[in-house]
Amino acid sequence: MRRALSLKRFLDVFKLISITNFILISSVVLVVLVLFATSLPIVLRDGVSPLIHSIWNPVSEEYGFLFALGGTVVTASLALAISLALSIGLAAVYAEYIPDKLRPVVKNFMDLAASIPSVIYGLWGLKVLSPVLRSYVMEPLVSLGLSPYLGHPSPTGTSLFSAAVLLAVMVTPLSSSIIRERLVSIPMHIREALYSLGLMKTEVVLLELKYIRRSILTAMAVSYSRAVGETAAVAMVVGNVVNPYFFKIFRPGYTISSLIADQYPNAEAYYYMVPALFYAALVLFFISLAVNFLLLKSGERT
Amino acid sequence: MEPVIHIENLWVSISGRDILKGVNLEVPRNVVFAIMGPSGSGKSTLLRALNRILDLYEGLAVRGKVVVDGIDVYNSKTDPSVVRRTIGMVFQIPNPIPNMSIYDNVALGPKINKLVRSRAELDELVKWALEKAYLWDEVKDRLNSPASKLSGGQQQRLCIARALAMKPKVLLMDEPTSNLDTVATAKIEELIVELKKEVTVLIVTHNPFQASRVSDYVAFMYDGQIIETGPTGQIFTRPRNKLTEKYITGKFG
Repeated sequence: MRRALSLKRFLDVFKLISITNFILISSVVLVVLVLFATSLPIVLRDGVSPLIHSIWNPVSEEYGFLFALGGTVVTASLALAISLALSIGLAAVYAEYIPDKLRPVVKNFMDLAASIPSVIYGLWGLKVLSPVLRSYVMEPLVSLGLSPYLGHPSPTGTSLFSAAVLLAVMVTPLSSSIIRERLVSIPMHIREALYSLGLMKTEVVLLELKYIRRSILTAMAVSYSRAVGETAAVAMVVGNVVNPYFFKIFRPGYTISSLIADQYPNAEAYYYMVPALFYAALVLFFISLAVNFLLLKSGERT
Repeated sequence: MEPVIHIENLWVSISGRDILKGVNLEVPRNVVFAIMGPSGSGKSTLLRALNRILDLYEGLAVRGKVVVDGIDVYNSKTDPSVVRRTIGMVFQIPNPIPNMSIYDNVALGPKINKLVRSRAELDELVKWALEKAYLWDEVKDRLNSPASKLSGGQQQRLCIARALAMKPKVLLMDEPTSNLDTVATAKIEELIVELKKEVTVLIVTHNPFQASRVSDYVAFMYDGQIIETGPTGQIFTRPRNKLTEKYITGKFG
């Protein structure tokens, strides 16, 4: 009797998991299908050439979006690098250097920062961050003669660089909290073992970070996919200019998501723009998927 | 001979609660010195006060004097990491760093503290420490496999090797066998007796029989104070204090 009951329970749970999994997987498949079906006309017409050209001319129905693809990769990667340093730093300070009493305050503050709507970050990025970065980072570097490599900033400071820094600020609270929670959960006996060998605090922290490197990779994966997909805030600070030289990060540019957000309102007026934007979205989807996959895979191996 | 550990009127409180209430203790060199007593008597705190691992706990207040191998442990000019390099520690839960190999666990301390100059010297030291901890023969063919693959008893001996690799003057052991089975315990006890050739061993145990098996000297602690201390044979045959007698005859503890 008992056995029958538990078997029934098992089947119920199994059904529930199967159904939720099925819904999840099929919705992802559906999304890909819709993206692919809608972008089919341009895929059939141009193949992969939109991915390797930067000529965006709706009048002649030319839709090369390499500039946006490049903008996405450049901003998200730079954001990831900045955010990684920030999140690890913040998490380490939280876990090892501040007194217990201060922790709830810092924690609440960081969680609050994670919950701010992205459009508010966008406004702040537009009105505060971009001009500040322009005056204190971009201009000084340009005056050092780096403009051939990094480009000339626009008068307002909107640029791929500003977008990257803004993205870093936006993704840091979450990624830092992932690392932080893992750091504080390192058992006391492991920390005691490290300290008992006469290690300095910084040496202990470095070893602890190595110990939790898998969580750091998870935080990176989460950050990168958020950075790649973030739209509203980026669209406000990135400048929305076709910039084929997307590695010149002080110039304004486009990312895929800002391109879609910016161009979609008038896309219906052209034959191939909607398919082109869906094609770009499909590419965005696969970038995010690939990065997640790679980071999580490398986490498994180590 | 000058004692290697000298503790004078040591008071420790954590978050306002007194844990040690005026401990005085002298430990001679190259002996096994056991501290026994019931749970909550302050044994582990006393041990952790010696190498300043207690510094990791919040709300700590320490008064009194502790001198280990000539180092004034609580002098404001003393660097706690120097103290910890002189005093090795083995814990209640075997705690090798799980994602590190057997070799790296032992090599970690000497490497970071720059006790060796070459890879060959490090290899030599790791081998020496593992031999001293009776572990070399069991692991010599798999030094690069993760420490977490070892059995509990092997992990604890690995921790002993890790501590020994620092060439400490004193080895603190906090109930090192309380998480091990009887076979692993017997092996570690045998090892402890052997270790006093290299270091002074200060072992905390809640098991009076273990204290009688491994130690040359023993101290009985109760409620943050040392009730009685002396050569092991004497304490176990002619205890002067009624509480000690009750404890070693198993009436409480």
